[in-house]
Amino acid sequence: MLGTTFRLHNKRLHQSFLIVILLIAFLLAACSSESATPTPPDSPPETQVENTPTAELSGPDPVAREGILRVAMQPLAILDPAFISSDSEVLIANHVYDYLVDIDPQSNVIPRLATAWDVSDDGLTYIFTLAEGATWHDGDPLKAEDVVWTFERLRDPDVGSGAADVFTEIADIQATGDSEVTFTLGETNPFFLNDLSDNRALIIKQGTEDPTDFNGTGPFIVSSYSPEDRIILTANEAYFDEGKPKLAGVEVIFFNDETASVDALRGGQIDLVMRMSTSLFESLQDEPGIVTLDIPTNGFDLVRFRADQPPGDDPRVIQALKLATDREEAFQLVQQGYGSVGNDSPISPLNANYFAADIKPPARDVEAARALLAEAGYEDGLDIVLNVPDTGGRPDLAAVLKAQWSEAGINANIEVMPESVYYSEAPGNWLDATLGITGWGHRPHPQVYLDLMLVCDAQWNESRFCDEEFDALVSKAGSTMDETERIEAYHQIQEILISQGPIIIPYHFSQVAAINDAFQGFELKAFAGRTDFRDIYLSE
Amino acid sequence: MPATVPSDPPLVDQPAAGRSWRGLRNLRLLYRRPSSAIGTTIVLIFLGLALFGPLIAPYGENEQIAADARQAPSTTHLFGTDRLGRDVFSRVILGTRDILALAGLGTLLAVICGTIFGLLSGYLGGLFDEGVMRFFDGLLAIPALLFALLLIGTVGSSRNSVLIVIVIVYTPIVARVVRSVVLPVKSLGYVEAARTQGESTSYILFREILPSVSPALTVEAALRFSYAIFLVASLGFLGVGAQPPTPDWGLMVSEARHNVSQTPWAMYFPAAAIAILVISVNLMADGLKRVIQGSND
Repeated sequence: MLGTTFRLHNKRLHQSFLIVILLIAFLLAACSSESATPTPPDSPPETQVENTPTAELSGPDPVAREGILRVAMQPLAILDPAFISSDSEVLIANHVYDYLVDIDPQSNVIPRLATAWDVSDDGLTYIFTLAEGATWHDGDPLKAEDVVWTFERLRDPDVGSGAADVFTEIADIQATGDSEVTFTLGETNPFFLNDLSDNRALIIKQGTEDPTDFNGTGPFIVSSYSPEDRIILTANEAYFDEGKPKLAGVEVIFFNDETASVDALRGGQIDLVMRMSTSLFESLQDEPGIVTLDIPTNGFDLVRFRADQPPGDDPRVIQALKLATDREEAFQLVQQGYGSVGNDSPISPLNANYFAADIKPPARDVEAARALLAEAGYEDGLDIVLNVPDTGGRPDLAAVLKAQWSEAGINANIEVMPESVYYSEAPGNWLDATLGITGWGHRPHPQVYLDLMLVCDAQWNESRFCDEEFDALVSKAGSTMDETERIEAYHQIQEILISQGPIIIPYHFSQVAAINDAFQGFELKAFAGRTDFRDIYLSE
Repeated sequence: MPATVPSDPPLVDQPAAGRSWRGLRNLRLLYRRPSSAIGTTIVLIFLGLALFGPLIAPYGENEQIAADARQAPSTTHLFGTDRLGRDVFSRVILGTRDILALAGLGTLLAVICGTIFGLLSGYLGGLFDEGVMRFFDGLLAIPALLFALLLIGTVGSSRNSVLIVIVIVYTPIVARVVRSVVLPVKSLGYVEAARTQGESTSYILFREILPSVSPALTVEAALRFSYAIFLVASLGFLGVGAQPPTPDWGLMVSEARHNVSQTPWAMYFPAAAIAILVISVNLMADGLKRVIQGSND
């Protein structure tokens, strides 16, 4: 009897001990998970800007700022403005710092830190007048020397910024007054003002030792940064552009997965998403409380074929590939109508004055393609490897092209690889692959694409295209101040690319965004990172 | 001779040479129980699809009809179409051959390797046994998917990589099962007799011991086959198996996942195919186990 009771008592003790352990474990798990999940604040953060003399607000009524805009973006890799490139890096820098001049959604150059400018008749001297009352977040006022220092740093080969390639024609930069900067060019550049608004050309303070310390003149101040989690920005009360920003703050929350960020938008934890597949975008169309926007861009997916080695060194093979492609079908299937059909040239329909609407690639002709391949020695068909990064519409584009090309006897073997590998030095990378699909993001004007990817010695000439006449035309288009000459040059450039360029550009894609309809004043830009939050406000 | 106590209980209590094959010939016994009947029927249907797929499928595996893109299931497209206008029904059917062939071949190789190691390890014992088993224990400690990703990161993703992964992941399990059946057998009378007669080790292993191991091995092979199907589908989902646009079921699920709001059927049907096939093979393996146990009552 006693033995049984003791055993039962033991068992109960055992059970209660187990329950206690489980409870403790559960509590621990609950406590740690609380700090892991992002809890969006529903009221403006406690931290306010200190009451320093420079924070005095001119004007009788201080701006009533309200609302925190929560944006989903990819995590940041680089913080130094001279080296940033991704959407999220540029977006944050665009609000912590300022550019000298900005680009509006219609690709016009507009004032920012420079309120006015003067261009000499010969196009070689640019004089900029800086805004009054601009101050750094640490309190010091903006000086002309800061602008000079910024651009000298960008051009300094020891610093090593890629922006140095953009500013090669600058001969001299001088601070010619307290609020005046003069640029002297060695040769004319019709796109100089555009170039001054390069994503990396954010003005930083002279003598900055740590360019990652977020000390800018911009509309928002960084109040906290947690690398894998989020960055919290609060309104700069002393911002030189009166009345802006209208928001109390911006919170950029880092997401790796598009689907997750769209789910967060639907669930109300996020207010704005600017990167998602067309399918996710379509699924948000009728969502209550959410406004969807899309804007066509100059960006495109580039199907590029090495013209310096077999089989691409035979122009007939290139022709066959181009003839076997149905660009309209690819555009409909991959982009679902968002954007525009491409013409095998980087000059998109968005550039209304430069785009040659009168010339198009020849209509799809599978039989002609087969005949050309037979002529080139591939009567039994052509086997080729197609290297593709795993992002965007590119894997789908590869599948569509494979099906289209197979009808002409071209057998493409698709190899999908992680994007980071495609843009690395690994075999089959974007500069090395015989046939590949590379994504080229939006640039404000097409000259950049021609200089970067199609002239003989271009840094990123994936297809190794080299034509002297073409190079001469590109050079003329990029330096002449005569707009008619430029239009004519671009027209001839497009003729050459459409007829013999070893590239296929089936479409130009759109930039999409979805935002909580409580926020007004949002204007989407073709390069999402340059979207401006200064005009956004919370409506009633 | 004291019988060695096996570390894992064998599936059969008293294996007797020769008798074990009878159970396998009575496959119709599989239809005695409803669960194994259903499982076996479904597996046979999938085998039929694998063999005659191209004749049954209404559309090609890469046939893109842009005008039909993203359509819900209908009379013209039984499982609907995906985002690129390809018929999901045809792709599921045509994908059967690849997944069965890959999983089947991988399982066969794993069974062969595992059997060899298990026989040798169980029979020879000693340091060889210890060494091999501890090494296999180490391999078993690594999660299969993690191991697969590591391996494919080095050799690249292809069908051969998937085969290698299946072999490396399942050989240790098969070896353990075989070894556990060999241990009680190796000290039995007829084995002793063969040894005394001077038969070679390979003769003893393959002519005397292997027949006793076969029932357990068959069941284990069937079970491994169901897991292998799931592993192939998982690797396809992660993008490290077949390359697009191959109609690999796992790859189809992965691609459709990003478009689930527009084309949910493109995800659900391949996923259902994977689930049904895995469960059916499992039910069949379970039925096999009962058949073999039954034949030795």
